[in-house]
Amino acid sequence: MKKRKYWYRLDNAAKIFPAVSKDDRSNVFRLSFYLDETVDSDILEQAVNKILPRFETFAVQMKNGLFWNYFSENQKYFKVEEEPAELCKFFKAIRNSGYMFKVYYLDNKVTLETFHAISDGTGALQFLKSIVYQYFKMRGFKLDHEHLILSELPYSKKESEDNFVSNYDKNNKLNLKEEKAYHITGEKFHHHWVLLYKLKLNTKAFIDVVKNKYHVTVTQFVTALLAYSIYKESVDFINHKKPLKIFIPVNLRPYFDSTSLRNFTLYIKSTYTSEKNDWTFEEMLALTKEQFEDQLDKNKLHGRINALVGFEKNVFIRMLPLILKQIAFKVGYNILGESINSCSISNLGICKLPKDLEDKILDADFVNAGYSIAMTLISVKENTNILLSSPLKDLSIMSHMTQMLVNEGLELIVDTNYKEVYDEIL
Amino acid sequence: MRYCKTCHVHYDTDLEHCMLCGGDLEVTENDQSVYKFKEITKKSRSNFFYRLFVFLNFMSIIITLSLDYLSGLPLTWSLVVSVTNLYTVVLLMILLNPNFWASKFTKVMITTIMVVILIGLSLRDYSWAVDIVFPFAVASTILILTILIITNRKKWFDYFAPLLIITIVGLVPGILFLLNVLTIEWPSIISFSYAAVTLLGIIFLPSKSSREEFKRRFHI
Repeated sequence: MKKRKYWYRLDNAAKIFPAVSKDDRSNVFRLSFYLDETVDSDILEQAVNKILPRFETFAVQMKNGLFWNYFSENQKYFKVEEEPAELCKFFKAIRNSGYMFKVYYLDNKVTLETFHAISDGTGALQFLKSIVYQYFKMRGFKLDHEHLILSELPYSKKESEDNFVSNYDKNNKLNLKEEKAYHITGEKFHHHWVLLYKLKLNTKAFIDVVKNKYHVTVTQFVTALLAYSIYKESVDFINHKKPLKIFIPVNLRPYFDSTSLRNFTLYIKSTYTSEKNDWTFEEMLALTKEQFEDQLDKNKLHGRINALVGFEKNVFIRMLPLILKQIAFKVGYNILGESINSCSISNLGICKLPKDLEDKILDADFVNAGYSIAMTLISVKENTNILLSSPLKDLSIMSHMTQMLVNEGLELIVDTNYKEVYDEIL
Repeated sequence: MRYCKTCHVHYDTDLEHCMLCGGDLEVTENDQSVYKFKEITKKSRSNFFYRLFVFLNFMSIIITLSLDYLSGLPLTWSLVVSVTNLYTVVLLMILLNPNFWASKFTKVMITTIMVVILIGLSLRDYSWAVDIVFPFAVASTILILTILIITNRKKWFDYFAPLLIITIVGLVPGILFLLNVLTIEWPSIISFSYAAVTLLGIIFLPSKSSREEFKRRFHI
């Protein structure tokens, strides 16, 4: 039954985003599907509005309370728009009927851009799959969902659960103190424009290199690859006082048996000292593997959840009026938020689609734009896409990464949102 | 598909040159590479006039304060001009910031009341501002928001926060009355009484949905 009244408290990961988001730090991420036909925007809009009530955690608007923001039901009609030139563009929900996600179309592409306060990559992917599935149903195609499309399955209250709070244990807290990280600097594009550099490679060939030659996981491999490229191409890294620290979100759902569509992601860090000046790729890879194995421990992850939730459960913090909390979040984030990471890597993994839908989807993108280089990965059909976004004009790190992959014998197909004429504008 | 023989990568977009080495891309006969994003158009400098407006207002403040100071007399007219300049900038910011119009209206009213009081202080005669303008402005804002809630019940929750804030502000003239700051007392008593009745009405006359709204707004 369609619910008319519901509301949610913001989850632990979501609490900070409304206060700190702005033009050059949108906290919006993008998921796109390339279809085998030109998108009909009217049908797409109908498809979104048809499935939106099923996704309670997306059909919300954010409101201000005295102490915290909260999500309240939103029953307004949702409008799709033509895709803008900027990736992961900051938007004000009030100009989007209160909704905190955007659905765009462009030629054969359907794009979902989601404000991180309402969901993470895993939740948003479920939503996009359902939108596109519904779109094709409305186009008259008969598709078998194979239990992989959430909008075709019964609603479960577990989808709306705040798993940070439900897994909170005040007796097992880990210290979250962090040191500052090295930052990649350089000239930026104008107008907060972000460059997208996409590498498409055959998943089987890639796995063959990663697993059989280096005996690591895909995320470990690309983390070391990015770290090594930064080490080789950044002239000021060696003897820099701060280490290179790569921020890697971890999907907590498999660890804590969760099916929530809300944020349920924590992070690990891969750290490389700048005092060593003779790093080899193999050394960086071995260190990455070691750090992953150490940090991807359920007990340690649980300890960090408890520390984060413990902070928001502090009586003094809870009693502070929202306006003061927002100021504190802004100041705290400006001092610490970005200084403790050099760049980020987010691997969404394999995008599982029903066979009938897979035939109609040609490709997929997953993009996370930030203040520095952000790498994202998504595997669909027989290919893996490595997408690098950067506000910086310098491409030497991307070039080094590309050459290392080419040297491994991998065939790469590059795509980008860059055009030669942009040199005049940006 | 296009190909860079230096970098050994294929391109699935319509670039003429390799992004990495700048070399010419080889184009195959059946090349169907297309650009898959929306093209950028040259952006207009929409922020320029806004910044110019803010800059001119701040220049006005500095110049008027300097001229008034150089006259050797206590600052008076320049303070009025400066407060008005600041008010214009804040007003513009409130109006340009996307928000519910009830919220904008309340912010504008509160800012206007503050400006009127500051002008009164600048002229060393603030009783008209505090005694009359302040209580009447607050009471009329409460009245307008109450009428809006009654006539537009479906959207009452959009007006809830502004009404609550302005009602609390409406209690301030009563406090000033108790502190003997006021010379004309009856407007403040009216404002205080009206705000207190509204506040009690908000607390003690809730329907099920407004109790739910309370729970949402005040959750800790």
